[in-house]
Formats: sequence, C-alpha cells, structure tokens
Amino acid sequence: MSQAILEMRGICKSFAGVQALKDVSFRCQAGLVYGLVGENGAGKSTLMKILAGAYKADAGEIIYKGMPRHSASTGEIIASGISIIYQELALVPQMSVAENIFLGREPRNALGILDLGWLRARAEELLSRLGVTLDTRSPVSELTIAQQQLVEIAKALSQDADLIVMDEPSAILAGGELDQLFAIIAALKAQGVTIVYISHRLEEVFRIADEVTVLKDGEVVDSRPIQQLDRATLVRLMVGRSLEEIFPQTDHAQGELRLSAEGIATDSILDGVSLRLHAGEILGIAGMVGSGRTELARALFGADPLTQGEVRLVGESLQQLPQWKTPSQAIRAGLVLVPEDRKSQGLFTALSVRVNITIPILSRLSRLGIIRRAAEEGIVTGARQRLSIVMNSPDQETQYLSGGNQQKVVLAKWLETEPSVIILDEPTRGVDVGAKFEIYKLMRQLNDRGIAIIMISSELPEIIGMSDRILVMNDGRVAGEISRAEADEERIIELATLGAEAQSA
Amino acid sequence: MALAKRKSKPALSADNRWRLRKFVADYGVYIALAILLVVAAALTPKLFAVDTIAVVMRQASQLGIVAIGQTIVLLVAGLDLSVGGVFIMTSVVVAEVGNGRNEMIAPAIMTALALGGLVGLGNGLLVTKRRVPPFVATLGMLVLVKGATQAYTRGVPGGFVPEALGIVNQSWFVLSVPLVLWLGLNAIFIFVLRGTSYGRRVYAVGSNIEAARLSGIPVDAIRISIYVLGSLFAVASGVVLTGYVLYVDRFIGSGLDLDSIAAAVVGGTAFVGGRGGLLGTIAGVLIIQILSTMVVLLGLDVEVQFIIKGLVILGAVTLYSVASTDE
Repeated sequence: MSQAILEMRGICKSFAGVQALKDVSFRCQAGLVYGLVGENGAGKSTLMKILAGAYKADAGEIIYKGMPRHSASTGEIIASGISIIYQELALVPQMSVAENIFLGREPRNALGILDLGWLRARAEELLSRLGVTLDTRSPVSELTIAQQQLVEIAKALSQDADLIVMDEPSAILAGGELDQLFAIIAALKAQGVTIVYISHRLEEVFRIADEVTVLKDGEVVDSRPIQQLDRATLVRLMVGRSLEEIFPQTDHAQGELRLSAEGIATDSILDGVSLRLHAGEILGIAGMVGSGRTELARALFGADPLTQGEVRLVGESLQQLPQWKTPSQAIRAGLVLVPEDRKSQGLFTALSVRVNITIPILSRLSRLGIIRRAAEEGIVTGARQRLSIVMNSPDQETQYLSGGNQQKVVLAKWLETEPSVIILDEPTRGVDVGAKFEIYKLMRQLNDRGIAIIMISSELPEIIGMSDRILVMNDGRVAGEISRAEADEERIIELATLGAEAQSA
Repeated sequence: MALAKRKSKPALSADNRWRLRKFVADYGVYIALAILLVVAAALTPKLFAVDTIAVVMRQASQLGIVAIGQTIVLLVAGLDLSVGGVFIMTSVVVAEVGNGRNEMIAPAIMTALALGGLVGLGNGLLVTKRRVPPFVATLGMLVLVKGATQAYTRGVPGGFVPEALGIVNQSWFVLSVPLVLWLGLNAIFIFVLRGTSYGRRVYAVGSNIEAARLSGIPVDAIRISIYVLGSLFAVASGVVLTGYVLYVDRFIGSGLDLDSIAAAVVGGTAFVGGRGGLLGTIAGVLIIQILSTMVVLLGLDVEVQFIIKGLVILGAVTLYSVASTDE
C-alpha cells in the first residue's frame, strides 16, 4: 500500500520577483489524511493552487496517479479526481443544494429539460455518504456556513474526487461544527479518499492527520508521521523558534486613560460595546470572524457612523480632546487604524513606498500645496531605517514588496502621524515569521513610548502572547474580559462561541 | 516509470518576466511612438514637411487639451463621456454671448467655463454622492447637455463667433497658439500631479479609494474637483475648436471625445485608476494624430483610419493588460 496517488516534486513559484515556493516536494498515499501546516504566508495555499491548476509552477513536476501531469485546465484537473474546497466557498447562493452540487453538469432529458427528481435523489445519496441530512431543495443562502461547506464536500464527491484539499476549513466553523467535519473526514478516509487538510491550528492536525508536512517561508521544513511529532516540536518547526522567544515581553506600568467608548452601536452588527484603553497597554480583541471585531475598529475610527454611544480620546493630563466623525478627524485627534485587509484597505499597491508613507501627512510636508522634497526624503529614509523596510528604492511600487514589508509600510505611514492610539486589525496576517517578530517588537517599543494599542487578531497565540488584557467579542457585543494572567485558548474560545451555540440550541 | 525528460524551459525567468512587464507598462508608448515615426519616415516622408507638422500639431493640440482632462478623470478611476456635449455648448455660448463683438470674447469664455464647471460638478456629484457609475453618469450628462443646447438654440444657433477668436489660428512655423496652450497646460498639470499634495491625493484616490478614505483624504471632494477640471479642459478645447472654424458647428469636435479616452489609454493611463500620467497621454495623442495624418497622406479611405485607430487601441490595451497581469 505504498502507491503514491500524488507526488509533487521540486515545485518553485515566484510572484513579481518574490519567491513564494522554493523546491517544494509533497507526496500523498491513497486513503490517508495529510496535514499541511505553516504560518500565514508560508506557501500552503500557493502550493494547492498549483495543484488545482489556478497557478502555473515556474519549475517542478506533478505526478498524479502515476502519470506526469503537464499543463491542464482546471476542468481537466477536477475531472481527474482532484477537488479543492477553498475558504471562500464557491456556491451560488440563490440556487438549491442539489443544483449547486451538480452545477454545470446537470443531467437533461432529450428535450433539454432538467431532471430535478434525479438531481435531488443523487444529491441526497451523496449527502448520506457524508452522514448528514439536508433539504436538497432549500437555497444555499439559507444554510449555515458549516452546512454550505458540506455542500462543497458533496460536490467534490459528485465529481468522483479521489483527492480532496480543504483549505483552512475550520477557519469558518464554530466549535461543535468542527466535530462534524472531522467525522466526515474520517468517513471519507474509510472510503479510500485522500484528504489534504490545510490549517495552522495544531490541535486539529493532531486529531485527524496521519502525516504532517510543515511549510515555512516557501520551503518544506519537515514531513513526518503524526506519531513522531508533539506539539512543541511542531511549533518549533513551523515558527523556527519557541513561543517564549516570539513574543517580546516588557514590564511596563499601566498609564492613564487614553480612549474610552461607551455603549457604541452601528448599523452593522455592533451592539453596545464599551471599552477603556490606557497609555502603554495592548488591548487584545478576540472573537470569531463576523463577531464584530472589525466593525468595532471601524466604528472607533469614525469610518462607520455611530448610531449610539460615544468614543472619546483623552489627551495628556486627562484633558478631553474634541470628538470626531470621520477618519480624517480621528487622525488629527491622534487615533489611527491599520486595517485588516492590507491590499484592499491599507495599501496603495500601484504607488511607490514614498507616496504610501507620506500620504496622511502631506499637509505637514508641503508649503502652499507644493511638497517639500527634502522634508519628504527625510521622513521616508527615517521610516525605512527605523522599521528596517526592505526595498530597492523609495520609488518602488509597494505591490512588489513582500507581505511583511508591505505591512511595515502601512505601519510607517501611520506612525508618521504621531498617534496616541493605534488600532491594529490583524497586524500579522500574511506576514512571514521574521517580519512578525519585528512587528511584535515594534508594538512593544510603541508601548514604551506611551502609545496605546488595540490589537484585533484571529491568532490566539498572538492575542495571548501580546495582550495586557483581552476582550472577547461575540455577536456584536463584548462577551467577556480576560486578564493577562488568566488568558488561555480554551477560555477565549468558550467566550467566543458561547452565544453562537446558545442560538443554535 | 519513464519520467518525462522534457522540462518546460521558460524563455525568461519569472524575475525577468515582471521586469519586462514593468518596462512595457512604463515605456511602451514612447517606443511605439518612435517606431511609428520610423515607419512614417519610410511610408510617408511628407509627414515631416514643416506645413504638415504644423497641421498635425494643431490637431494634436485640439485633442491634447481635452485629453489632459480625460487623463486626470481616468486617474481617479472615472471616465468623462460628456466632453462632446461641452464642446457644442462652448461653441454655442461663444457665439451667443460674443455675438461678433471682439470685446465680448473674454466674457463669453468665462460664461462657457462657468457652465462647463457646472457640468463637471454635476458629473462629480452623481458619481460621488449618488454612486452612479461614471460611464452612466457622464453619458447621461452628455445627452442632457446636447439636448439643452439644442433646445436653447432650437436647432438654429444665433449670434456669430467674434472674428478675433481667430487668433488661435496664428502660428509661427509649427508653433501655434493651441500648441502653446497645450504644452503650457501640460507643464502646469504635470507639476500639479507630481509635485503637489493635491496630485498625490488624486493618485491615491484612484489607486485605492477605501485606503484613501481611511487615510483621511477627502475622497469625494477630490473626485468632484477632478470632474470639474475635466469639463474645464473640454471647454478650453471647445474654444480652440470654435476659433478654428469661426462658426457654430453642431458637430464640432465630434470624435474627439472618444479619441481623448483612446489617447489616455494608449498612453498608459489605466481604466482602473491610479496609474499613468500626462506624458504618456502626450505620446498617445501624437500616435493617434500621426496615424490619422498618415492615412490621409497615403490616400486611403477615411474608414481605414478608424480600423487602424481601433487596432492601435486594442493592441495597446492588450499589451498593458498582459503587462499588469500576474498570472
């Protein structure tokens, strides 16, 4: 039983001069579950997109079911038995479960009319193979995210998939739903289907994987049977250093109040959130995706209007600062937001590093509207050195920088406005480990200068490692506050999912 | 198992590929212009006679002035189809207000600029406050302005274009009044785009409107001001065109509206905004004008002009999209 169903050898891929995968090899035997782990930006998704035919490798070969595969269309790849389930599910919300499963391959009778009865019967059969029951007639938009994921899996089965790749399936699931997913994976495995399970959550990998491959900075660090691994080893392989080294600690006394929010609400999910933030502290905000974390950040910053409550900044010696209603007023008052999605909200990818860094301080840098080049040069050079931003020149377009350096450019931009409060939404998403560590160090340095930080993050180790206090969001409200001393992953997950379970019960 | 020996050998490494792409995006239009001049030297040497150059540059200026406005509108991810209506409106206003009196030229132009500014304001408000897509908003404005002008004149424009506006036809060898105006406006706006905080914000808004908003830039004010500027450039082109023919032409500047978009796009200004600039547009204007002139010099049908123009635009857009795609 050592026949490999899939073998990827020496895969290389670079984007705009940045090497995303270096000589990566990955091998799967039929009927086993493979954990593919690594930090964000390690190259997991890129590797799987090459397998799916969405990207073309620069070098290397793929041998599938004993045959070398040359360039093939995504359609041919699916037909050959490879299915990939991405985090962003590819379903048509208005169509029914059955229609989605057979989308594009609907059987028609001689008159070209859809055979709905057959469609439903087959869909039900597929779902029962997964051990679940769903009304195959209901539109997908009425299903929960977890149920939608099941539809995707059923769709993969309908295409006779022998190899199913799941790209971070747990990222969108709540606690109880995960158990169901694992049961399904076990059932599929028993039917001889090979599963590649991508995740950066180690507990999950230990629960289901037979073998684990660790990617780091685009290279395979190690590939071992799960029995030969323990948690600490796996962390070390993934991150390259142990947890204590990652999160720099400094002892600092909590300063005076800097920001307070009282019962704020917006048109979106946010529903009566209060918080207080002090000089020199990091307030971590945890919660599931969709719990209102990002909405909270936007509301504090004035990006979305408040329907209720108020936010106040407190200046030196407790003097009240004027309130703000727009981001530009917030920036002037000393509050900035480093948004969650760097590419769509933080960065001007087509513009140079120089332009990106000085955009919020142009008025300070110009006289009569004309930019003073020398002053600008000084700012950019200073930022480049302080944050050790790696670039060819300040005129390089930011799209050609690595994720970590892009994030540093965004941070540099905001630090130049000399804020007293910084909100960081997912500050290390898509950033390599080295840059991650530098960003953590920078946050501590800012703390030491008395700057207060709110950090929103989905990465629990990061939340626990960096925060002085943690607020857990759930369904638009604060579900609880945890002090640094009592912070652990179970406690946070419990608070983050409690409401969701109470609702579904 | 016989392993396939052939390893697909890419002609260029990935690294060099994106350098090439960037080179095409940054310098493609100038290379194209140079190649076109070489081809012209071989096919139509008459193009380089002083008289012909003067004609080409005059026409290039008429197109070039409105193309400045079109370029900056494209830079904020916009589009201005209403310029065609503004030409006609300008022509009618100059004739009605000027009515043959040379001392009324200045008030006539001021009136045209004021009305043009209103058209731009309308475009800007529709796009920003009502979130109408620029294509639809400015198309609607085009129809509205044309219709309003016709309703006002009842199809028979009154008044006469003041003779003195013929000053735009003055020239010294190839240096004509429109050419000086075109180059001067370019110089000013190249500086505005590169050296001022306003210019930076324009690029920022076009490059990523959400990031611009979160960076504290008043994105709506910037976009509205750009649409107003775009219409003012159309008025300037309209005045030059009116001075050229010295009567009210109901079809004045027809074709220049789409040509101005073509010139900007051929010159490397992206439809998605934030990318490109006025130097590229100057090259784009020259390419379009030289091609049109070559067709005439070669004695080909006018229809051929459109075919060639179309092919050039499609070729340029294809090249740029290849250059900006990261497979």
